[in-house]
Amino acid sequence: MLVTWKYRRRNTIIQRLDPRTRLVFFVFVILALTIPDIWDLRIILPLFAVSLTLFLLSRIEWKDIRRILPYMFILVFFIVGLNGLLSGRGGPSSVTNLPSPVVFEVPIKIPFTDIGWDIPITVSKMWFAITQITRMFTMAMLVIPIPYTMDPNIYGTAFKRMGASDKVSFTMDLAFRFLPTFARDFTITMDAQRARGYELEKLKGGLVGRLQRLAPLIIPVVMQSTVTGEEVIDAMDLRAFGTKPRTWLRDNLKYAGRDYVLLGLGVAIFILCCVLKWGFGIGGYFVPEFFLNLFV
Amino acid sequence: MNDKSTWAFGTRQVVYGAIGAALYGVFSWATNIFPLPAAGNVTFRPAVAVLIFFGAAYGPWVGLLAGFIGNTLGDALSGWGFYWNWSLGNGLMGMVAGLAMAAIKDFRAQADIIKAVGWGLAGIVVGMLFASLTEMITGGIDLNTALIGYFTPAVIGNAVVTIILVPILMIAFAAVAAGRGR
Repeated sequence: MLVTWKYRRRNTIIQRLDPRTRLVFFVFVILALTIPDIWDLRIILPLFAVSLTLFLLSRIEWKDIRRILPYMFILVFFIVGLNGLLSGRGGPSSVTNLPSPVVFEVPIKIPFTDIGWDIPITVSKMWFAITQITRMFTMAMLVIPIPYTMDPNIYGTAFKRMGASDKVSFTMDLAFRFLPTFARDFTITMDAQRARGYELEKLKGGLVGRLQRLAPLIIPVVMQSTVTGEEVIDAMDLRAFGTKPRTWLRDNLKYAGRDYVLLGLGVAIFILCCVLKWGFGIGGYFVPEFFLNLFV
Repeated sequence: MNDKSTWAFGTRQVVYGAIGAALYGVFSWATNIFPLPAAGNVTFRPAVAVLIFFGAAYGPWVGLLAGFIGNTLGDALSGWGFYWNWSLGNGLMGMVAGLAMAAIKDFRAQADIIKAVGWGLAGIVVGMLFASLTEMITGGIDLNTALIGYFTPAVIGNAVVTIILVPILMIAFAAVAAGRGR
């Protein structure tokens, strides 16, 4: 099978948490950073420490994430960080509006000509890039462990218990169950087409040709799934799906003391960020004195 | 071939919503493994054609669920995490494409294929505009970056994939449905 869920039972405190707690806590952290628009590294760093602690408590093995982390680092450092450093965009307007000393200039010109620009890299842009990278990692580190540490069979129940309807929750649950099946169908189709001489790695020709040549991989899997769907519908209708409340919900999803602690922490983080920003004017973007002094 | 009540939400929608989501998740993941390079920061996700097709074939609820859950699954499988606004944007993309369902009578007819592609393109614009603009709140980007850096490349990539692959999927679906007689 090409894809199996990377989930494994690890007997960690993170896995002993109710899945709803983790999802709600994640939402609170996102809201805390985005609703009051927090760009102050003094506030972001403690949140980063909380995220990092929860990530480390997940005890995910290096072999599981070694292929994902490079993607993350490329995205955050080179795309987000570099964009912040060069343009100062992606954050509050004060990054570029406030006067800030120029550290150096990056010439972006047509080769062998003087046509182009010299982009000034200011102290403000440099501090902003650091802030932006930390802010993104704070949010990302709460999510990366979820597929590795949350039982896929419990997603539907978790969403139902969070207020989603039976049908939406069951759709969620069913999607997770179908996933490995379709991934296996995709692998079989790919192997079968390769056996017929289809070279996946050498998709030659123009864009249209390339996309059209993907059809032998996509069509069989999609069409087979539509046939499977009719059989599943018949089976569910025969069992009177949708006529009465569902009985498949688990009863073992209960909040424990540790869940209330984390939920309380999430609420506290959100309220604290709002109070700091709107009550005391703390949390907006600024360049600290020590960083400025490094370059002046 | 289809239950033509556009906004019905019964067993059929639950099952095909789940199937669409799982397929969208698998193909999104596969695209990450075998990327289709393009110019600049435009990337092609053939999975989008599957989403548009499911919307057109089974209606707006299926499109919404397939897009939202499928994008979440694809991101989770690839290790990106969860970006609610992009998942909801993908859901809107499938939902608007699903408005074509009632207008489609023959999946082989050129006029009906054009309708499906047209609604699909409208869905792409609505969904990606929503995701790009909400990125201003979640990611703190400005309007220029949202429109030029996020919205435009996403629309171009998804539109090309939709125009090329959705007609192929529809013709194949017509043959399968005719063979099954339902």
